Amino acid sequence: MTHTILICDDDRDIVSALDIYLTSEGYQTVKAYNGREALRAVEQNDIHLILMDIMMPELDGIRTTAKLREDNNIPIILLTAKSEDADKILGLNIGADDYITKPFNPLEVIARVKSQLRRYTSLGGAEKGPGLLSVGPIAMDDGAKQVTVDGAPVSLTPIEYNILKLLLSHPGQVFSSAQIYEQVWNDPAYGSENTVAVHIRHLREKIEINPAEPRYLKVVWGLGYKMEKE
Amino acid sequence: MKRIQDGIPGKLIAWMLLFCAVFMGASCGLKALQAAPYLGGESYQDTGQFRNLLREYQNQIAEAFALDHELEQADLTYVERQQIMERMQQLEQSLDPSATNFRFVVRSAGGEVVTSNLEEGTILADQVQEINYAFFILGEFFTSDAGEAYAAESSIPPGLSENTTSPGKTSQEKTVYTVECGVPSMDQLGTVQDDFAQISYRYYQANYCFSQWLIIAGVCLAAAAAALFFILWAAGHKAGVEQIVPTWQEAIFFDLYLMVMVIAGTALFALGWYLLECFYSYVVGRPQLEPEYGWLSAAVAAVCVLFAAVIALTLRTLAVRLKAHTLARTTLICRICGWLWRSGLELVRSLPLLWRIIAAFGAYFFANVILFTRSMYDGWAGLLWWLLNGAVLLLLCWWSLGFRKLRRGSQAIAAGNLSHQIDTHRMPHDLRCHAEDLNNISQGMAEAVDEQMKSERFKAELITNVSHDLKTPLTSIINYVDLLKTTDQTDPKALEYIEVLDRKSQRLKKLTEDLVEASKASTGVLSVNREKIGMAQLIDQALGEWTEKLEDRKLTVVTALPEGETWVYADGRHLWRVIDNLLSNCSKYAMEGTRVYLDLSRGHGQVTLSVKNISREPLNVPPEQLMERFVRGEESRTTEGSGLGLSIARSLTELQGGTFDLTVDGDLFKAIVSLPQAN
Repeated sequence: MTHTILICDDDRDIVSALDIYLTSEGYQTVKAYNGREALRAVEQNDIHLILMDIMMPELDGIRTTAKLREDNNIPIILLTAKSEDADKILGLNIGADDYITKPFNPLEVIARVKSQLRRYTSLGGAEKGPGLLSVGPIAMDDGAKQVTVDGAPVSLTPIEYNILKLLLSHPGQVFSSAQIYEQVWNDPAYGSENTVAVHIRHLREKIEINPAEPRYLKVVWGLGYKMEKE
Repeated sequence: MKRIQDGIPGKLIAWMLLFCAVFMGASCGLKALQAAPYLGGESYQDTGQFRNLLREYQNQIAEAFALDHELEQADLTYVERQQIMERMQQLEQSLDPSATNFRFVVRSAGGEVVTSNLEEGTILADQVQEINYAFFILGEFFTSDAGEAYAAESSIPPGLSENTTSPGKTSQEKTVYTVECGVPSMDQLGTVQDDFAQISYRYYQANYCFSQWLIIAGVCLAAAAAALFFILWAAGHKAGVEQIVPTWQEAIFFDLYLMVMVIAGTALFALGWYLLECFYSYVVGRPQLEPEYGWLSAAVAAVCVLFAAVIALTLRTLAVRLKAHTLARTTLICRICGWLWRSGLELVRSLPLLWRIIAAFGAYFFANVILFTRSMYDGWAGLLWWLLNGAVLLLLCWWSLGFRKLRRGSQAIAAGNLSHQIDTHRMPHDLRCHAEDLNNISQGMAEAVDEQMKSERFKAELITNVSHDLKTPLTSIINYVDLLKTTDQTDPKALEYIEVLDRKSQRLKKLTEDLVEASKASTGVLSVNREKIGMAQLIDQALGEWTEKLEDRKLTVVTALPEGETWVYADGRHLWRVIDNLLSNCSKYAMEGTRVYLDLSRGHGQVTLSVKNISREPLNVPPEQLMERFVRGEESRTTEGSGLGLSIARSLTELQGGTFDLTVDGDLFKAIVSLPQAN
């Protein structure tokens, strides 16, 4: 099944570049150049995902998102040149599902689009059960010792798997390197926490779309690591 | 309350009340004054007026006898006879019982009744309240009082037998008559309206009404005082105006105003006194109440009203000036004195300080010498000497206190507290001038710093906005370069060019991001959430991120951490950026195959992290300059750095209340981050 994606930005070159990437990935696209056109396009077409700029003439991305969210739950990914945290938080609070800051990496855009589409179209989430842990797109089946991100299996080393399991089973809780070391290695921590940081970085690279800007496995600088609570 | 105070009707009523009360009070007071002579005694017959009037009637009897005696003389002309006859008739009319309440019996020396105005069959004792005795010698016009004792003891005048012995007057031919006379008591007075009736009426009225008049006068006085109080209270208040409103009266100098008012008051007082004396001599004590003297009391009361008006006006303007705090300013004497004082002071102050000090010291010295020598034999001079020296000591203390304030103020300003203003209150003049100059300097500097901050902020905003605007075309460039790579390019040169484009566009991306961050960090726009952070944990995390990249460059990291966790008070994300930038620097500029030292130490409330590495290129730039924006340790700008890393690191460290230092020793590059330690 091909999905239709609405691309909305006032910069036509960016729209056509995104169009090329998404078409080459096999998606159908609908183009819009401001918020009003986006609203009209959503009415007229069967849209599965929206990529939308925040700063647009006539109706900006934030307001358009708010309008769309009145009667719609299509995934919305905001494109923004603003990198301030306040803008991201505002966008997510108003109902956007994800955001990408400009200038973006085309691969990241594709990855995020895929992730959102998988979550949107997969019927229900992974069912919860004993040994089933999940946060956002990350799901862990402890029985099968398998980890999936947006349904796609990810191969982890045993240490990475154990670290992820520890963090997944306590979402929102901050673990210091020493705590993680003691729990995972079953040894008293003695100056070898450095390894923990390296493993976590590797883990991040495997489960995060953009490891430099993690959405789920977050570093709490000076305190430890945590799995973001949804 | 405010409305009453402000309203014009209230003030008008108060003035009217004041005038009416004074007028009525004065009138009642005069009435009481008029009644005063009638007070006391058991009946109206005890009053002086009564006695005078009685004597007058007695004299009329004596005169009638004298005239009768004269008529018997033969050598009178006709005219004289006629005149005497006329007078006789007058006297007879006056003494007729139908014209007067005066009753009398004249007895000869032998005791038999010569004449009387009593009705037939009545005796004097029944008719009158008290019998008064007098005697006169025939041919003389005036009567003399008989002694009280004699009157009480017998009906025969005692002096009659003896009065012949009195020298000069004694003569065998002269006949002495005794007058027994009197007036009925108040209740028995007939319908005859003579002066006796008038006196009795006055006596009755005075004794009956005196206290009432006094009370009315007192009430009126109290009312006048209340009205005056209200006038003073409401003076200067006006509806709709918050402050005290001066009138044209307040435009006049107070001392001139007071002078005019004192003159007017004195004149009015003199006039009132004169009128009162007139009133006293014309009205008080007179049995006849001449109706035309009614105006006199009215005039006295009117003068009193004017006098009250003068006092009230003076007090009113005084009250307004006091309320508006303009009394001293609107007083001519104060103004003149103030002007003299100021000009004198200015003259003194215009002299150079040195001269002034010399002159003051000279004066002090001479006064000292004179007083000290005089104090040998004059105790007062000794006292004055002590006082003078005490005063000079106080003056010096005052100066030193002012100087201390000045000193502290300049220290505060020098320490960087530009908003500090020295309190110039009660400072000696020269020090105050100095303090004001310092205040102006600090204010000017504070303004300049403010201005600079504003322009920095503006610059940051500009950079942020420009960066945002750059990002959109940059997005297109990066994307189309990326797309270009996917096209089939056979020309190796084209591939090389695309590679350059790709690299440079990535660098541009990094630059814009760093630029925004640098400008934000340096202007303090970033929010800082300081909390307790484990420094060892942070270093560990940072190394976790960087270990592999550093290893790729064949750099070995050597860490030296103290026992246990070292806690600092900082914002984790910002502090991570600082360390991230430092490690990124190492990976970019450190010589391959060398070691990177990370030392963490704590002490004296400070936590210090130092990062040391050997530079690949010679560092020919002073460390201060390395922290400037866009400065790098090497001239070639081909590496990936933006030249903003150290600048950002410093700004972020300072934002968190720490310090960031760089030292360069040959090729040894050392960065030191100090932060306050958290317990």
